[in-house]
Amino acid sequence: MTLLSKTITAFGSLLLAHACYSAREHTALQSLRTATAATLTSSTTVATSLPVDIIIETIISTFIILLGLVLGTRPLRPLEWRVWAGKIEREGEEGFTDNAGAVDKDYMGNPFSVFESRPNFVDIRKQRKEFAAWVQNGGGQQGQ
Amino acid sequence: MAQVPVQTIHRDPQLFYWILFPITIVMILTGVLRHYATVLMASAPKKQDQKTTREQRSLLHGINVRGNYHVLSKPSLTTRRDALITAYESGAYLKNPDGRGQPPPNPMSDPSAMEGMMGMMKNQMAMIIPNTLIMSWINAFFSGYVIMKLPFPLTIKFKSMLQAGVATRDMDPRWMSSISWYFLCIFGLQSVFNFLLGSENAASQMAQQMNQMGPQGAGQMFGPGVDPNKQFLAEAENLAVIEHHSVLDGVEQRLLAGIKV
Amino acid sequence: MPSEQELQIQISPIVQESLVHNSRTLYNLQSITASLFGVSAGILGLESYAGFVFYVALSLLTSVLFYVLRVAPTSLASGKSPLDTSRYFRGAYDFWAGGLMNGFAGFVLTWTLFYGLVTA
Repeated sequence: MTLLSKTITAFGSLLLAHACYSAREHTALQSLRTATAATLTSSTTVATSLPVDIIIETIISTFIILLGLVLGTRPLRPLEWRVWAGKIEREGEEGFTDNAGAVDKDYMGNPFSVFESRPNFVDIRKQRKEFAAWVQNGGGQQGQ
Repeated sequence: MAQVPVQTIHRDPQLFYWILFPITIVMILTGVLRHYATVLMASAPKKQDQKTTREQRSLLHGINVRGNYHVLSKPSLTTRRDALITAYESGAYLKNPDGRGQPPPNPMSDPSAMEGMMGMMKNQMAMIIPNTLIMSWINAFFSGYVIMKLPFPLTIKFKSMLQAGVATRDMDPRWMSSISWYFLCIFGLQSVFNFLLGSENAASQMAQQMNQMGPQGAGQMFGPGVDPNKQFLAEAENLAVIEHHSVLDGVEQRLLAGIKV
Repeated sequence: MPSEQELQIQISPIVQESLVHNSRTLYNLQSITASLFGVSAGILGLESYAGFVFYVALSLLTSVLFYVLRVAPTSLASGKSPLDTSRYFRGAYDFWAGGLMNGFAGFVLTWTLFYGLVTA
C-alpha cells in the first residue's frame, strides 16, 4: 500500500469508528429513555432511527475507506502474452513492483532474454582464449 | 393485517464481552495457528526414481504435444506423433514393462501410495481436531445463551440450527445462540485470514475443501491404482485423432489486416 | 478446425501467471470490502432486503471504482473500448459480478456482529 492509500484508509476507519460509537451511544440512550418513560402501558417500540448525521458519517467514511482500499491494490498485469512481454521489454522490473516499491516475488524476469543472448551463437573459442589469458595473468589466484 | 410486534429481549451487555469476543478471537487465532501448522507440517515432495519420473514425464510430453500442436508445422507434428504413438503402444516408457495387462496393485499395499494417504490424513486432522475441540468447548461453556439477533429474517426451519440448546417454542428464529455464531465465523472469517496471512493461506477449511473438490485431474493422474499402460494407450489414441492446423495459417491476411495505411 | 475463440487464444496466448495475479488482487479487494460493507450496514441498522440491496449496490460500486482507478487508464490507452476489461480479465461477468459471491459470507458475518453490537 502506498502512503496515500494508507492515510485515506486510516482516516476513513477513524470516521467509521466514530460513527459506530455514536450509533451505539444513541441506541443505548434511546432504549434507556423508552424504558424509563413508557413503562408497561405502551408496547409501541419507538422506531429507533439513527440521526441523520451519523448516517451521513457512516456512508461517507465507507466511501473513503473504499477509495483507500482500491488505491491500495496491486497494479494489474496484462493478460495477453504479447502485451505482457512488451511491458517487460519497456519497463523491466519497474513494471512489476508492488506498491511498496519491492519487486514481486513471482516476477520471473524477462522470458525473452534467452533470445537476446543466443547460446548457439556464442564464440566459444574467443571466450576460451580470454579465459586462458585470464588464468595466465594470475586472475585465478585469490587475494591479488 | 395486524403488525406483528417485534420481539425484544433485554440481554446483558456482558454477554458480548464474555461470549462473543472470546469465540471470535479463538476462531481467528485457531485459523492463524492452523495456517502455521500446515506450513510446518508440509512434507517436501518425495524423490522418485528414474523410471517413475520417465513414465510420468513422457505421458505429460504427449499431453503437451496434443495441447500445443498448433505451433508445430505439419511434418514436425507427424514425426512427433508417430514416435510417441509407437513408444506408447509398445510400452517403452513403462516403469515395469513386464507388468502390462495385469491389474494394478492394491493401493493399500503399496508403500508409496500409503505415503500420499498419510499426507492427506495429516491435512484432514489439522482441520478436524481444532473444529471438534472448539465445538465441544463452546458447547460446554456457552450453550444456552441467546446472544444476538440476525439482521435478516429466516424461515422457521433454521430455528433448530440457530437456537441449538435454547428450547423455546415461540422465539423468532432470528435470535441466535453462541453455536450459530461459531458457524457464522467458520464461513465468514475467510476475508480476515486473507487480510492477516495473505491470500494463499491454509487457515480456512472452506478453501481447502474447495481445493480438494476442484482439481481432481492433476492429483489423480499419477495417483495409486491408475494403470499407466491404459493411460498411455488412451493418450496414443488422442494423439492419433489430431487434425493438424497451424497457427500460421492465413497469417498473411492477418498481418495485412493489421497494417493501417 | 478449432472454433473462433480457440483460434483467438492460439494466436494471442495468455499468460497464466498474470491471470492468477489479477484475479487474486480482485478477490482480495472484494473480500475485504465486503467486510467493510458489513460494518457499515450493521452501523446503519439495515435489516433484511435493505441490507442485501446495500451490499449489491456497494459491490457494484467497488467494481466500477476498481475499473476506473486500475483498469481504465491503461486499458483505454491501448485502444480498448470503455468498460472492456479484456486487457486484464477474462470474462466480463467475473469482473463485474464475481465479487457478490466472494465476499458474501464475510459481509453477513460483520453485518450480524455490528448489528448486534450497535442495536444491543
